[in-house]
Amino acid sequence: MGGGRGVRSTDGSGGVTGRPEEPAAAGGAEPDARFSFANERTFLAWNRTALALVAAGLGIAQLLPPFPGLPWGRHIIGTPLIVLGSAIAVVSYLEWRANQRALRRGEPPHNSRLPVVLTVTIAVVGLAAAILVLISGPRAG
Amino acid sequence: MPEMPRPAADRPAADRPADPGLARARTDLAWIRTAIAFAALGGVVLKNHPVPGLAILALSALIWALGRLAGTTSAPRNRSRSLLVITVAVTAVSLTALVISLLSPGPAPLR
Repeated sequence: MGGGRGVRSTDGSGGVTGRPEEPAAAGGAEPDARFSFANERTFLAWNRTALALVAAGLGIAQLLPPFPGLPWGRHIIGTPLIVLGSAIAVVSYLEWRANQRALRRGEPPHNSRLPVVLTVTIAVVGLAAAILVLISGPRAG
Repeated sequence: MPEMPRPAADRPAADRPADPGLARARTDLAWIRTAIAFAALGGVVLKNHPVPGLAILALSALIWALGRLAGTTSAPRNRSRSLLVITVAVTAVSLTALVISLLSPGPAPLR
C-alpha cells in the first residue's frame, strides 16, 4: 500500500500517474504541501530578483546619461544584469523542478548555484562600474 | 512548526493535515509581489516604449490571475505550468529589455 520510501501517495491530489514530467514509477509521493509551497515561494523570489536585475540593467542603459568619453560604458554594466535576469528565470525553474522531485522522493533539496552566480555577477558589475567611473573623463561643466 | 498542535513527523504521512495553513497565504502573497514587480517594470518601460510597456503590464495581469488561480486550487498538478509561464514571461521581458537597451539610444550626455 505504501510507496517506497516512507511516503505514500494519498488522496486524489496525489495521483501522480498522469503527470507527464513525473512517471509514477520514478515519482514517489506528493510531498507535504507546506514544502511544496516553500519551494514555490523560493522560485517566485528568484523570479522577482530576475525582474529587479532586468529593471536595473534597463534603467542603466536607458535612464543614465552616458559616461563622458565612453558611450558604450552603460551597456557594459547593464547588459550583464539583463542577461543574468533571464538566466535566473530559467535556472530557477529547473531548480524548482529538481527540488520538487527531491521532495517527492524524500531526498534532501539540491544545493542551488544561483546565489554564487548572483554574487559574482553583481561584484564584477560593481567593479566594472567603479572602473568606468574612474577612467571616464570628467563631466564638462 | 510551533503552530501545529502535533509535529507532523509524529504522524504517518497519510494523517498529515491537508491544510497547509499560513504557507498558502505566504505563497499567495509571493504571487502578488511577483505580479507587482511585473507591473512596476511595465510602468517604467511604458514611459519611453509604450508597446512593450503595455505588454509587460498585460503579463502582470496574467500572473496576478494565475496567482489567484493557484490559490484556489489545492492540487499542485497545474502549478508546474503556472511557474513555467512565469519563467517564460521573465525570459521574454529580459530579451525585450536587452533589445531595447541595445537598439534604443539612451539619454543624451549632460551638459
